[in-house]
Amino acid sequence: MTTTSTKQVPRLDEMTRSELIQYLKDTVKPEEGLIPSYIFSHPKVYELEMEKIFLRDWLFVAHKSEIPNKGDFVTREMGGQSVIVTHGADGEIHVLLNVCTHRGMKLCRMDNGNQKNFTCPYHGFNFKNTGDLIGIPFQKVVYGDTMDKSKMGLKEIRHAVYADLIFATLDADAVSLDEFLGDIKWYLDLAFNRAEMEVVGLPQKWNVDGTWKLGSDNTISDSYHTLVSHGSIAKLGLVPTGDYSKYGYQIYTGNGHGLNLGMPNPDGFAFPESLIDEYKERLSKDQYDILKQMKNMIVCVSPNIMILISSMDLKGQKISQTSLRIWKPTGPDSMEISSWVLVEKNATEEWKRLSEQAFTLTFGASGIFEQDDTENFTDITQNSKSPYHLQENIVFNYTMGMHQDQVEDFVGPGIVYKDKFNEANSRAFFRNWLDQITAE
Amino acid sequence: MHKNIILQYEIEQWLYKESELLDELNFDGWYELLSEEISYTMPLRINQMEESKPDYSEATLLFDDDSTTLKLRIDRLKTDMAWAELPPSRTRRNVSNVKIKEMSENEVTVHSNLLLYRSRSTDTTADLISGQRKDVLRKENGDWKLVSRWFLADQTSLGTRNLAIFV
Repeated sequence: MTTTSTKQVPRLDEMTRSELIQYLKDTVKPEEGLIPSYIFSHPKVYELEMEKIFLRDWLFVAHKSEIPNKGDFVTREMGGQSVIVTHGADGEIHVLLNVCTHRGMKLCRMDNGNQKNFTCPYHGFNFKNTGDLIGIPFQKVVYGDTMDKSKMGLKEIRHAVYADLIFATLDADAVSLDEFLGDIKWYLDLAFNRAEMEVVGLPQKWNVDGTWKLGSDNTISDSYHTLVSHGSIAKLGLVPTGDYSKYGYQIYTGNGHGLNLGMPNPDGFAFPESLIDEYKERLSKDQYDILKQMKNMIVCVSPNIMILISSMDLKGQKISQTSLRIWKPTGPDSMEISSWVLVEKNATEEWKRLSEQAFTLTFGASGIFEQDDTENFTDITQNSKSPYHLQENIVFNYTMGMHQDQVEDFVGPGIVYKDKFNEANSRAFFRNWLDQITAE
Repeated sequence: MHKNIILQYEIEQWLYKESELLDELNFDGWYELLSEEISYTMPLRINQMEESKPDYSEATLLFDDDSTTLKLRIDRLKTDMAWAELPPSRTRRNVSNVKIKEMSENEVTVHSNLLLYRSRSTDTTADLISGQRKDVLRKENGDWKLVSRWFLADQTSLGTRNLAIFV
């Protein structure tokens, strides 16, 4: 017996590039709040993302405080490519492709260190930390006069710095970092320019069988999940119950960047009082007024950065923490999370220590907030893999807050909604994402 | 020698008992084994040049707990909203290579290997967390209590979705 169903599963892998792009445009409807399931795990969608987003956008690679001295370096990944971020002998920052120009070997396998030179483990080509090729074993013998070392330096990746955050892009034609970030800079100032900030140690890394997009989507708009996903924390009395996570603003600043700003803070000022002069000096009056009232701030810088300021009571002391993470795609249905913790350089050692501890307890790999989010990302991604979702075009509902009006009197830039329970930012994020991956 | 063999046996049995309590999700029972002064830390494993060992950083800690915060973690697991462990992971802690490094009347420093198998939800591939423990146990009112645990994982990027479990 055979069935006579006429239903078919759309075969994205058999479509031409333009058919696939048309299919995406027909099925992803951000303005209607309709986001189809298949985009969260389909390999063909992932291919487009890699090419159109991760090879094009500005991506975070390091914080300047990670490489304070000449010779310091860290290795990072961007667009599936390892890069070495160095503080070169010339005093400049360099982002260098971690690929020997001779035969493609990975030059450096360390997470960090201090080196004048990088010697290739394959044939011994030797590069300065500025990328210049300075040595080739037996050069005269094996190349005679035919090798021009000046043309064989490590490929330098375009980079730029804002608020001590080093960004790089694999696209030489990308708009400037300044233009890419746009108005989100006003809010990045609150996180990284409010005082001199420094990274503590190195990033923690862990791996989740969930798509990177769910991380960014959760970051940019989802304060609503706090009630349930993080309900255990309220049950313990660490945060207030009910709608505490609603109060504040949801703000979209363009190019896929946006934030949720939690305020006012019922517990008062969440930052070291001893640094108030520094805050006032570095921030505008409007920015400082926001900082004064801030309970938390969750910023998404597209495509895949999450910046978090949050405050809590720990061991009877009011403490805030500042962190930055990337949701690094490692496949259509998987990501690696790397998370940096930052503290005010001029805070007391006690304050720094407690802030780090608060981070580890709440948002590190073992964090009691963190843990429950990864369950959501994993299970949504796994669900979306079934061909049934494609056959039926199962869509998820992102319509929350469509009835709400923007507020016009907020001091910061962007499209602003009162209260954080809204999916407006996700709709904007997916519009930006769709425009990027369907660009011809 | 005889005395050392008995001590070795006692400490091994303590570690096995601890593993059993954790594998059986008896967190209150586990908490009873901890000293009030416990320091529970997990540094970050990093890729370093051989000559610049140690290949870990204590500036970044994946666990940084004391008795207050460990109690908090346990209380959280007991709420019906600790989704990361609902249903609980199936864990199997294999403790081996138990070596007593230092001992006095009341205190031992003991190193061991931990191979922690974690099966989560319907996953068919399990997470393995392998690493080294450095523990300090102290006799308090006749019982060995854990005063300090230092756990160093063998991965620089953890192959498990979170650390909602104890190591």
